[in-house]
Amino acid sequence: MSELATAAHLEGETTGVENRKLGMWVFLSSEFLFFGALITNYLLYSNRAGFSGVYPAEIYDIPFTSVSSFVLLMSSLTMVLAHNALSRHDQNGARTWLFATAALGSVFLGGQVFEFTEFVVNYDMRLSSNPAASAFFVLTGFHGTHVAIGVIMLLSLRGMSRRRGGLSDSHGMNLELVGLYWHFVDIIWIVIFTVVYLLSAPPA
Amino acid sequence: MSTTDHPTPAQYWKIAVVLAVLTAVEVALFYINRELELGALNAVLLITLAILKFVIVVGWYMHLRFEKGLLSRFFTAGFALACGCYLVVLATLGVVVIRGG
Repeated sequence: MSELATAAHLEGETTGVENRKLGMWVFLSSEFLFFGALITNYLLYSNRAGFSGVYPAEIYDIPFTSVSSFVLLMSSLTMVLAHNALSRHDQNGARTWLFATAALGSVFLGGQVFEFTEFVVNYDMRLSSNPAASAFFVLTGFHGTHVAIGVIMLLSLRGMSRRRGGLSDSHGMNLELVGLYWHFVDIIWIVIFTVVYLLSAPPA
Repeated sequence: MSTTDHPTPAQYWKIAVVLAVLTAVEVALFYINRELELGALNAVLLITLAILKFVIVVGWYMHLRFEKGLLSRFFTAGFALACGCYLVVLATLGVVVIRGG
């Protein structure tokens, strides 16, 4: 994506990498520790017996979550197509793909709200039901918050592009940074989907 | 770095198909495991597929394989630190069993 950064951006930057981009990669790197802690917390409590209430692994709707995962995965495709369109100076294409990415992210969020509602209303599994439920809601809730922030950033970029008649090279870097954040949210979900949904089992 | 270094839109679509297929295989494995109880093999296969998807997204969609080594080092360092740190926690608390000598 670095073709969007002009030589002027790199002037005086000794690493040869745009500072904002380097900052974003370092931030994403630190996010591994944040989500790692939440995933570890879930693994510690997901099948620890002796607590009352429903355990998340007993009530997962795997077909539904698989569709949600597919939607988020495809939003990474639309994100990269938005960037590709901008690098070809196709402003309309960039706006369209940005909107598609935000829409897919919103569908994923809607799915998460539906899942949480199902768990609370139909199964009475709440944040305070047991440590496994707490760990599940905190982990997936924080991931959902990240997705929501991503959707806001995507829509802001699209709005900026509409108002100004397109994204400049400098805003192209903004799109690149939002894209990096969005793909990161996707890879975290890849891990959550496997570890939390597909591999976890309720207490024996 | 020139634009030609990056994949084309057609290649991005192909990568998306690969990711979708890998996800479908993951879900299929989940149901196969329910019937056949694959045990540790199921975990190994699912984790391998997740790592594959992770590497594809980071390498191609995040373009890390086309970027300067400095970014790879930062990103890998954070990932390795998190994996190492939390594996120790999980091993200490008995969630992950590490068999040695």
